[in-house]
Amino acid sequence: MPNYTYRGITLSIPDNDSEYKGYFEAAGEGRLVVKKCADCGLLRGEPGPACPWCTSINWEWQQVSGKGTIYSYQVVAHTVIPSFRDLTPFAIVLVELDEQRGQPTEFDGLRITGNLVDADFNMEKEENVGIGKRVEVAFQPVSEGFMMPQWRLIDEPDDATFTWSHEVPAG
Amino acid sequence: MAGNPRDKYCIVGVGETEYSRASGRTTRALGAEAIRNAINDAGLTPDQVDGMLSYHGGDSTPSTSIQYDLGIRPNFYMDCSGGGSSTEALVGLAIGAIEAGMCDVVAIFRSMNGYSNIRIGGTGARASAPIGGLDLMKRPYGLISAVQQFAYTFTRHMAEYGVRSEDLAAIKVAHSNHASNNPKALMKHRVTVDDVMNSRWIIRPVAHLLDCCLETDNATCVIVTSAERARDLKHKPIYIKGVQGRGTKPGGDFHYQHGPITRVAGHYVGPRVFELAGVKHEDVDITGCYDAFTYTVLLQFEDYGWCEKGEGKDYVTSGIINLGGKRPNNLSGGHLCEGYTHGMNMVIENVRQLRGTVDCYCSGASEGNHSYDYSEEGGCRQVKDAKISMNMGWGTPAVGSSLIMGNVLN
Repeated sequence: MPNYTYRGITLSIPDNDSEYKGYFEAAGEGRLVVKKCADCGLLRGEPGPACPWCTSINWEWQQVSGKGTIYSYQVVAHTVIPSFRDLTPFAIVLVELDEQRGQPTEFDGLRITGNLVDADFNMEKEENVGIGKRVEVAFQPVSEGFMMPQWRLIDEPDDATFTWSHEVPAG
Repeated sequence: MAGNPRDKYCIVGVGETEYSRASGRTTRALGAEAIRNAINDAGLTPDQVDGMLSYHGGDSTPSTSIQYDLGIRPNFYMDCSGGGSSTEALVGLAIGAIEAGMCDVVAIFRSMNGYSNIRIGGTGARASAPIGGLDLMKRPYGLISAVQQFAYTFTRHMAEYGVRSEDLAAIKVAHSNHASNNPKALMKHRVTVDDVMNSRWIIRPVAHLLDCCLETDNATCVIVTSAERARDLKHKPIYIKGVQGRGTKPGGDFHYQHGPITRVAGHYVGPRVFELAGVKHEDVDITGCYDAFTYTVLLQFEDYGWCEKGEGKDYVTSGIINLGGKRPNNLSGGHLCEGYTHGMNMVIENVRQLRGTVDCYCSGASEGNHSYDYSEEGGCRQVKDAKISMNMGWGTPAVGSSLIMGNVLN
């Protein structure tokens, strides 16, 4: 893949990037994928070269539903990246995908980082971010053939097991 | 555990440069000064130092440069890649090198222009470099700085255990009180909970500005040798009772895939270091707990077992960690107030505390004459009769090291 530029950041995804190239190629086609172990069949949220559960180095990309739950988050009030300053405050969320939650052990999940955005890919209001909220992937066009997976709130009941949000300061 | 070297090795020299935000010098110059200070502190000469270890993140000077500067001819040296939690681990590696017969006296150093050149926070010289690999999944979303790398753990912990910003602020207050009695500290004034709460937000809901450490230009050094060699040197030997690290959580730095993400590496490191050292929590008089952010302190107190999981907020607000309290923490002011060193200054401070000659404002401090009056700024910070210390080094939520030292044999 060529280099892409997003908000002044140069993203280098060379053809030998066996971890992330396929992820961004799929995103460019509007598909969210994770790696699936070709031997034991378990998915992994971080697209590493080997299966953390069985060590197999055989894998394939697997498309997932793109729905999930906010597992944790951070609201950036002050950013050190100059090209992000006009966005503050904005939320970065750790989304736990619906696939393979709590497997193979109780605390495991497929967790992916992104921004919480609204229908127009503007940053979602801070008061709307919270652990346990339901979200769906949305692909933000950046340049020809390149889209960034982002996350949008969807109209589904919060996760039944745990919800929490912080108090947003006035002003 | 095989080959426990408890009390067989010591830290015999400590040294540092000024903590500043404009060193106006190279990391080579800083490193040479810190190592020189530590050699002098130990009562050694450069030709008696035959081992060097350093850690860096591509932001420092290799041992080979400073060997020339100070006239050191190592039989062993290694420059290791690493940040927080490296100090303690390298103390262990120094013991290993000596035990293996590779050398006899090891100077461990860290040198960084952490404010004026390459800033850990992500600004400065590195900010505009192209990104690839793992950063592709983070930086395009605005996730770059250290507090951001840790924030998923902090927020989830806050949510599950009801930690408040006020609880975190109590840590900064304690460390600032300690720093007020440290002439070397970059930030010497005492702050209040309100000061922390009223400082600007950096990352909600887990860090105001004053919850974050001070990016600093500095170099630091500790010198390790055998207890036998230490007997002839200048200071009372400070024995290394147990050292561990860098130990990680399952999944290493992808620990958020493999929870609980509210748990930190101390959960794994702690039991091993206590067993090696042959001491229990109640035997420890002072702690040094890596304070890149206030939250790193709270989490480590929980997972090293100073309190139950979820009760860190009570531990840090109880007064235990304050000078004059039962087990004061980060007596130099730590990273939050003395200066950010990637962990070394908290080991240096505990060595000085255990010697009883901490460099506070007491006029007889270097002879061990202290007032033990902690009430005012510009006073004493020596803990009376401290015998055992414990350092808890943090690399990330998933990476940690620990070092237990003492001025008495078990």
